Amino acid sequence: MDSKYFDRLHVWGTVWNYAALVMMFTLPVGVSLVFDAWPAAGVIGKILLTLIPLYWITAIVEVVTYVPILGAGGTYLSFVTGNIANLRLPCGLNAMENAKVRANTEEGEVISTISIAVSSITTTVIIAVGVLAFAPILPKITAEGSVFKAAFNNVLPALFGALGAGYFAKHWKLAFAPIIIGVLVLIFAPTTGVGILMFITIVASIVAAVIIYRDLLKETISSVRGSKKESGETAE
Amino acid sequence: MADFKTSPVMYGIAFAIVAFIVAQSLFFIVKSWKHGKQIGIKKETLVSTVTSSILFSIAPAISILATVLALANALGIVVPWIRLTVIGNLAYETVAAESTLGILGGSLSKEITDPTQFSTVAWAMTLGSVFPLTFLPLVCRKLQKKIGGAVNKNEKTAMLGDVVSAAAFIGIISAFIARAIAGTSTSDPSTNAGIMSVTVLIVAIVAMLVLSGLCKKFKWTSFEPFAMPISMFIGMAAAIIMNICLPDIAAITWR
Repeated sequence: MDSKYFDRLHVWGTVWNYAALVMMFTLPVGVSLVFDAWPAAGVIGKILLTLIPLYWITAIVEVVTYVPILGAGGTYLSFVTGNIANLRLPCGLNAMENAKVRANTEEGEVISTISIAVSSITTTVIIAVGVLAFAPILPKITAEGSVFKAAFNNVLPALFGALGAGYFAKHWKLAFAPIIIGVLVLIFAPTTGVGILMFITIVASIVAAVIIYRDLLKETISSVRGSKKESGETAE
Repeated sequence: MADFKTSPVMYGIAFAIVAFIVAQSLFFIVKSWKHGKQIGIKKETLVSTVTSSILFSIAPAISILATVLALANALGIVVPWIRLTVIGNLAYETVAAESTLGILGGSLSKEITDPTQFSTVAWAMTLGSVFPLTFLPLVCRKLQKKIGGAVNKNEKTAMLGDVVSAAAFIGIISAFIARAIAGTSTSDPSTNAGIMSVTVLIVAIVAMLVLSGLCKKFKWTSFEPFAMPISMFIGMAAAIIMNICLPDIAAITWR
């Protein structure tokens, strides 16, 4: 693994992330300055007390979940453009699956980053063009009575059904536990946010994998111990 | 002051943010492309990653555009456009805006006409969502080093790494499958789990299995990257057909 490339990637990611942070504040600062309309600190404090526990904790869970799966470049980009769970993540996973590369390898890093960057440009351009050109007709397409409304309401089942099929065909044994646990969680807590639900199903899936592939796990542990012993003997 | 939400200044801010996102993405594409070629990734693989990612992103992007319009009623078109271009997602933006307006005595179902209410919403949406941008650079390197190092130690750990990463992928997908089977939406009850969501899910799965089976059988390697987005469109088409042919059954939800 070229650690220099990974180091550079983290530097670029950090610089662009902080630049994005500045860009994000152009909206509230710009609005307040131009319209001379500054919010009351007390009101903002009250709102943040509601939002922070909900979203900042989810953000920590999401960062820990996404970095191992999307790699550094993909995660830095995803957290700037948002819509991670419903778009960037499946897009990156699909690209790595097609290219037959693994996350957190150099190849996986390259493919995931290109895929998420392309996805970001595509959505940014579609949204911009849509807002400017199609704003008058889009409400009709997505309105309650529209023929297309049902399709847009079901983007996520269609997307994850198609994406899941390939994985389930290959690793069908692993699929039962997370789906059953996910459904059970939603039966008892129907409004569980997707960030938290995802964390629970990932843990369920990894626990199931550890049980199903326990022989491979044992062999891996003994091979790691073996190589540690060997390196210790060589050092002596 | 009636149109302050869509004034030229607002459009100016939106264009600057769009330009920033495109510049950032192009920067990472150029750097990754160069490095990909250096480490021997074939040009066809890189091109196919680009084309399949574009195709993959079209339908969700239109769906995001629809949510921009849903929020436009109260906030004007520009703020939802900006918020859903950087960091945003519908669930967060709706909750942030609605809780802010709730405190100020307003609602998302009514147009905001007071600039102070408008700026308070903009501040709340931004402050609530910026945390990952400050937190990620602090932990990303450490997280990746630990995981990458562990996975690439030897052949056995690489095999176990494959199983664990497949399990993590399946965990993610399972969360959304579970939502299609038993989920409840906090923002739009018409998207609650029911006959429609389960049918779309099954159609998309079957379409993908059939298409990838055909790709393998007839060796359509260049068509393979498109099997997934096409299956997604087939799933969405099933929703339209069902809604037209069996509207009563399609409307059944169990949440």
